[in-house]
Amino acid sequence: MARVNTTFPRLLMENAQKYGQRVAMREKRKGIWHEISWQAYVERVMFLAMGLRQLGLTQGSHAAILGENSPEWLFSDLAIQSLRAVSIGIYPTNPPDQVRYILDHSRSKMVVVKDQEQLDKVLTVRGHLPLLEKTVVIDMKGLRRYRDPMIISFREVEGMGKEAVLKEPGLFETLVGQVQPDDIAFIVYTSGTTGPPKGAMISHRNNIHMIVQGLQPILHFTEQDSLVSYLPLCHILERNLSMGMALVFGYTINFAESIETVQKNIQEISPTFFAAVPRILEKLHSAVVIRMEDSTRFKKAVTRFWEPVGGKAAQYRMQGERPPFTWWFLYLLGYLSSFRAIRDKMGLLHCRCLMSGGAPIAPEVLDFFRGLGIHTVELYGLTEVCGTVSGPHRFIKPGSVGEPCGALEFRLAEDGEIFLKGDSVFAGYYRDPEATREIIQDGWLHTGDVGQLDEDGHLFIIDRKKDIIITSGGKNISPSEIENRMKCSPFIKEAVVLGDRRKYLSALIQLDFENVGNWAQTHRIAYTNYRSLAQNPQVHGLIKEEVEKVNEDLAQVEAIKRFHILEKELDQDDEELTATQKVKRKVIAERFKEEIAGMYR
Amino acid sequence: MALVRDTEGDLLQVRDLSVHFGGIRALEGVSITVHRGEIHAVIGPNGAGKTTLFNCISGIYRAKTGRIVLEGEDILGLKPHKVAHMGVARAFQNIELFRGMTVLDNLMSARGFFLRYGLLRAAFYLGRCLEEEVRARDDVEEIIEFLDLQHVRKVPVGGLSYGVQKRVELGRALAMRPRILLVDEPVSGMNLEETEDMARYLLDINEEMNITILLVEHDMGLVMDLSHHVTVLNFGIKIAEGAPQVIARDPQVIEAYLGEQASARTP
Repeated sequence: MARVNTTFPRLLMENAQKYGQRVAMREKRKGIWHEISWQAYVERVMFLAMGLRQLGLTQGSHAAILGENSPEWLFSDLAIQSLRAVSIGIYPTNPPDQVRYILDHSRSKMVVVKDQEQLDKVLTVRGHLPLLEKTVVIDMKGLRRYRDPMIISFREVEGMGKEAVLKEPGLFETLVGQVQPDDIAFIVYTSGTTGPPKGAMISHRNNIHMIVQGLQPILHFTEQDSLVSYLPLCHILERNLSMGMALVFGYTINFAESIETVQKNIQEISPTFFAAVPRILEKLHSAVVIRMEDSTRFKKAVTRFWEPVGGKAAQYRMQGERPPFTWWFLYLLGYLSSFRAIRDKMGLLHCRCLMSGGAPIAPEVLDFFRGLGIHTVELYGLTEVCGTVSGPHRFIKPGSVGEPCGALEFRLAEDGEIFLKGDSVFAGYYRDPEATREIIQDGWLHTGDVGQLDEDGHLFIIDRKKDIIITSGGKNISPSEIENRMKCSPFIKEAVVLGDRRKYLSALIQLDFENVGNWAQTHRIAYTNYRSLAQNPQVHGLIKEEVEKVNEDLAQVEAIKRFHILEKELDQDDEELTATQKVKRKVIAERFKEEIAGMYR
Repeated sequence: MALVRDTEGDLLQVRDLSVHFGGIRALEGVSITVHRGEIHAVIGPNGAGKTTLFNCISGIYRAKTGRIVLEGEDILGLKPHKVAHMGVARAFQNIELFRGMTVLDNLMSARGFFLRYGLLRAAFYLGRCLEEEVRARDDVEEIIEFLDLQHVRKVPVGGLSYGVQKRVELGRALAMRPRILLVDEPVSGMNLEETEDMARYLLDINEEMNITILLVEHDMGLVMDLSHHVTVLNFGIKIAEGAPQVIARDPQVIEAYLGEQASARTP
């Protein structure tokens, strides 16, 4: 197989040639979807790049982007890369202190921020950032008062670039030509469940190799596809979908109007491909469950009646077979009377493929979407290989994350740890040679995840190597599997299973405030806030029932014997969750020491 | 970071305004000067005459004596719609919206105040009619974006939370493209977060849109943070005026407020 020999900026220029006025992006502004063609895409990137160059961004220097998804995010990303500089994405939900950490650690010379909210974070910590020279602000609303030489508007930079292009036409093309496939394109800061975030350096070759050889055989994109960009762009998953893969395959990206309108905008666009993290799929699922509870008896009956039909048809499809005529016909009836409406409400009517990734997900949630006739795949991937390690290529096995992908050499160590090798393995952690040596040994990337292959070559992930619980009885248990089953309940938002070197398993549980609150209202239970709900004995009873339901499907040793409902909601600002909303086990074990001890008393 | 203020000068002048209801003096010889570009707060205990003052300015009540001058033009005695046309818009304390209509329609109908086309053109939706409708929608969308109302654009107002309704009420006043915005207790009944958001919006309206604001508010914290100038009324009489820091220390003001608290305790 031929090695990848191109770069993202080069792909962009080629697409402008090939597609010209075709739509590359849509953005909803003032209630109307505005289109951006490939030609306009390349022009905006060119002006911005030349403007940033005037401001002193040169080969090898670093620039960060901080803000919610927008076309300007992608323009900035590619403009930075076109100058052979390195682009760094920062989660817009990060508090100022974490923003400071990443800007400082990445040695960023410039930062592009979305709006005043993000700018304020930078301004509060700028005293600690001697290397930071310029802040480019995309949306100047509310900034008339700021008179600061460090702040410049995005528009102004583009204007400077435009003039520079008139003065030196062709320079941008030359610069893009100089970008090498092995240049570091961007640094992705991992969310860091264990320590401070680590910066994974990813080259053009790393990423494009993964897209072409790894992801495409699983996801089958065409230029007809249409996606909504809503997951954080600094994460490798959305970076791939909105930036890299759109450049390789030429499909259209849509940007929501604001965070509050994402759900509504997805419904308007009805994307052909929908990628989500488990948290979002769980939420969509429980929203449907809750809504069904509130609807009429007739509707409930209809939905229940067609559910098994959807499940049966899904089984055939997962095998990669066409359902026999009877089932196909029944499914068609079910689709017309039930599935279609549910899919439309979720904005998944035209969805040809739904992908879950980023964290493990409960099989029940996937079954729900498959039952609606949506081709649903679960991928297992890492930032360090720029995307996926495995995914279903031909048929789907429940609980499996599919076959190892073609972009990587795959090997299981003796203890089951997954080792990987290939062009997609990243270039190392920025300014952290020790962590790099730890993860890449003898040319193999040590994932830290333990898995198993079955006779058909399908991979089953057991857990993070260091998270596996060994009970005092000597039994190995994977906590995330049990946690995901618990999170299937609409009333449980987060669960942390404990029991390492203990006699039995226990769990810390965070209520789903909205759903439990609704439940309390219908049962006439008075409450004021999250804390009062968590302390309510009837709520305790409700959760007990839910936990028992989960226990029914688990082996004796895996059963949750005791649980405790957390009296506060876990929060990123309190360091309990990562920016991707993953639980930091160490912090939680420390912070809720007393509660945990109480469960083993 | 100095504040950028465009042109100084008097925008609205109220001179010796008196209003009586039967034997009750609602306002007695009140004079207030609102400068262009400022946020001017009117505070005072219940029944001090703040809302009466607003009603006089917007033409709902007709004052017995005194003058109200907006940029050299006398507006006292004009009908409310005329006053509105002069550039005085008001966001009411009790939300005055069409509850069954969507946020967008509410704002469009407020903006529709300025549309000038005949019935015939409207019937065919051509020419100036189309042009003006497009421009109106553009203006309204700007307000929607400004007040972060995108997610409720097409939702009937009646179903929205109180805090959001207040924001729409403010938007409705903004849609009238005012020279001066009268805001009556914008944060009453709001929680802390909603109050902070509202404060932000008022500041942005003042600074970004360059609209002068005359504000009636009970929340002293908000008044002290936002306003450049404060006038204090008590029993229809102006008892103090000046910068917020000065007002906070004024013995008469403190007494008016403590007095109110004392009387509240004994029903």
